[in-house]
Amino acid sequence: MATPTRELAAVKQTAQSQKPTHLEKEAEITKTLTFALGDQVYGIEIPYVIEIIGVPKITVVPCPEVPYFIKGIINVRSKVVPVVNMRSCFGKEEIGYDDKTCTIIVSLNDVSVGLIVDEVLDVLSVTRKHIAKTPELNNVNNNKFIDYILEMNDGIKLILDIKKIIFEHDLALM
Amino acid sequence: MPKIEPGMEAMIDMYIFETSTLLEQLDEIILRVEQANVFTDEDINEIFRIMHTVKGSSAMMGFENLQLLSHKGEDMFFIIRENPGNMKDINFIYDLVFRMSDLFKAEIEMLQGSTDYEPTDFSDILKDLDKGAAMLAGREAEAEAEASAEAAEAAGEAVSSGGKNYPAGSMSVRVFFQEGCKMENLRSFLLLNKIKEEASILDYYPDDVEHDPSTCNTIMDDGFLVVFKGDDNDSVLRLIENAVNVESYKVEATDTGAAPAAPKPSEKAAAQAKPAPKPVEKAQNFSPVPATPSVNTQQAPAAKEVEAAQQLNSGGKQSIISVNLQKLDQLHDIVGEIITTESMVISNPELEGLKLESFLKSARELKKLTDELQDTVMSIRMVPLAGPFQKMNRIVRDMKVKLGKDAELKIDGENTEVDKSIVDNLNDPLMHLVRNCMDHGIEDDVQQRIEAGKPAKGTVFLSATSSSGEVIITVSDDGAGIDTDRVITKAERQGLLIKPASDYTEREIQNMILLPGFSTNEVVTEFSGRGVGMDVVKQNIEKCGGTLTVESKHGQGTMFVIKIPLTLAIIEGMELEVHDTIFTVPISSIRESFKASTNEIIRDTMRGEMIMVRGECYPIIRLHEKFNIPSDVTNFEDGILILIETDSKSVCLFADKLIGEQQVVVKPFPPYLGRYNIKGAGLSGCTIMGDGSISLIVDVPNLIEN
Repeated sequence: MATPTRELAAVKQTAQSQKPTHLEKEAEITKTLTFALGDQVYGIEIPYVIEIIGVPKITVVPCPEVPYFIKGIINVRSKVVPVVNMRSCFGKEEIGYDDKTCTIIVSLNDVSVGLIVDEVLDVLSVTRKHIAKTPELNNVNNNKFIDYILEMNDGIKLILDIKKIIFEHDLALM
Repeated sequence: MPKIEPGMEAMIDMYIFETSTLLEQLDEIILRVEQANVFTDEDINEIFRIMHTVKGSSAMMGFENLQLLSHKGEDMFFIIRENPGNMKDINFIYDLVFRMSDLFKAEIEMLQGSTDYEPTDFSDILKDLDKGAAMLAGREAEAEAEASAEAAEAAGEAVSSGGKNYPAGSMSVRVFFQEGCKMENLRSFLLLNKIKEEASILDYYPDDVEHDPSTCNTIMDDGFLVVFKGDDNDSVLRLIENAVNVESYKVEATDTGAAPAAPKPSEKAAAQAKPAPKPVEKAQNFSPVPATPSVNTQQAPAAKEVEAAQQLNSGGKQSIISVNLQKLDQLHDIVGEIITTESMVISNPELEGLKLESFLKSARELKKLTDELQDTVMSIRMVPLAGPFQKMNRIVRDMKVKLGKDAELKIDGENTEVDKSIVDNLNDPLMHLVRNCMDHGIEDDVQQRIEAGKPAKGTVFLSATSSSGEVIITVSDDGAGIDTDRVITKAERQGLLIKPASDYTEREIQNMILLPGFSTNEVVTEFSGRGVGMDVVKQNIEKCGGTLTVESKHGQGTMFVIKIPLTLAIIEGMELEVHDTIFTVPISSIRESFKASTNEIIRDTMRGEMIMVRGECYPIIRLHEKFNIPSDVTNFEDGILILIETDSKSVCLFADKLIGEQQVVVKPFPPYLGRYNIKGAGLSGCTIMGDGSISLIVDVPNLIEN
């Protein structure tokens, strides 16, 4: 099952309160797939990621209730998967799709969804020392879906809360 | 929740499956017994066996409340088994057992449904069961004063420690379990139960193995000591030896006091009651094949029929395995994919213009095989209607008691098979309809029936037949029928009429009872009369693609007719194109398609468009407008009209063009979109086409209604 290790959850809670030993700091606790939306780098913990594909033909679901950021459904190896444009989900301006545009298929508890992102970057090894706590600023649209933040040498990476993306996606409308 | 051992999680499905099957068997037996009003030895043993297995498996899973409940039930039947002759007023047993089995089912449903399951407290029913057991035991006491104390004691709470001087013929054995087999206390408890079938248990140590998990350590270190006394101690030893996870055992002491020349009364009773040796039931081995009751010649003739049917069923059961429905769905999906891929390969555009004689031959061969594969997979998902039909026995029985009407249920064609998902959706509608027949259909006054020349006993008749891709299920009664005058007055009062009352045909009036909010019952009863119900039934049936109609003759009875498709998963569809979106319309709802010119179109005051076809006027739904698709084809000359209809209404759809007819595998919209009312927008699902693109399936009734 795609759930982060218990250790990781513990680390997230105690990120700033306890001082881990040097060895613990260096040990890898998870891997994260990073992608870009404009200038900002985001990450998804690897266990949630099923596959990365281009942007296939999207069939629009013509129902007035379906929110604007759900672009429609696609056929991923004979599975019907809904796709979300991450730009519009995060309140950014949508741009056209080019050859760098990717769909990241994520899944939790057998519910799959495709996330359309500008560009997929890398898979990073995350250690304890990278993890910083999310600031308690929930009024920013972006922050609703951020689980925690990684501080790396090459900049900050916002790790997404896949549970919220999949099961509470209407948060984006609020 | 009672912590499920990590290793047990995989077992829980099996547990739920087995326990539900057993409980259904229990219901069936009790119903049969109640009809005949006598417990045969066979029945009692069978019930006892069911209780016992349920108890054992509940204990294995760690559901203490369920274990306790089945334990009390077992206790009661223990007393019945020990004293089969002393049963006179046994009616209260039926209700008690039904109540117990209902609670059990509810609990299992909870277990199945939620992750944070909380065990229910069954103390009420437990008390009643105790009372029942006490009543039975009390009666026993009158008849057999001497033996009673012993029997009641044994029944009351398994075993009482009889001091350290064990009577002659007893044997004390220390049992050691395999290292690391876990839950030694429960294994000991199961072992005790098994020994109990063969011999009477005098003492055991540690004491509270059933409820005290801390005894595990003692058992691990010192073994489990049990003192018993049976007719054949060797057979008990064999039983211990063969029990699951038993590593070894040691006979500590055998009291081989000379057997008394004349057995004591209590022993005699025990010997009489001892059941025929039965196969050792391994609680851990969740065998999905229920043991079959053998034919019993003492049964009432009516019961014989049921018995024979069971025999018939059980004959085939050995070759049946149970499969997780999810796996079947998966298999079904894969077959769907294969069929899609096959057409992608065979009609690949790159092959065009090539001479491919042997390729085409192989392709035809492949097509034949995949068709066969599809048929087989479909047939796997088909289950007989017997399950939901048999459940109605309970409903009729309960309502008979509550309403004080005499009626019986007749069943025909329960072997008719339909898709599993449809069977699951049929339970509720059937229950409502049968209740309706019992409550409204069958006359309250027996005199009325006799005057009308009908037998005093009412009949509710359930039947199923299949014909050309459809299953027709009827629920009928020989009651009073629908009083059309009352219906129309009532409908008028409730403002449900849309034309003058005299314009309605009899058929139309009868079908009014299916309207939302309609109820002729003046008094709301526990079962019906609230006016919700019939319209819900109709909705539920429509949800699985079926229809519901009523036929009735005043004074002679009412018949509800349900027509449902054999399977939901694959439909014949017509593909329509609107700009770049492809829609699939089920062929069954298409009447015709035709070209029209703009000057044939009639516009009404609301800017709605209509067209006249053979003297009838149909409204037009432009698909591109309805679904907000930017299509270039807006002139009627350029597109095509498709006339579709449901039972009550017909409309014309306007699309760019027809693509063709195709068999499609219906897929529901992904769960991510579940919170949006897509069905209400007129789409019921989607399907993957040969070229890999997705087509949207039009929900004709919803599209027409809105």
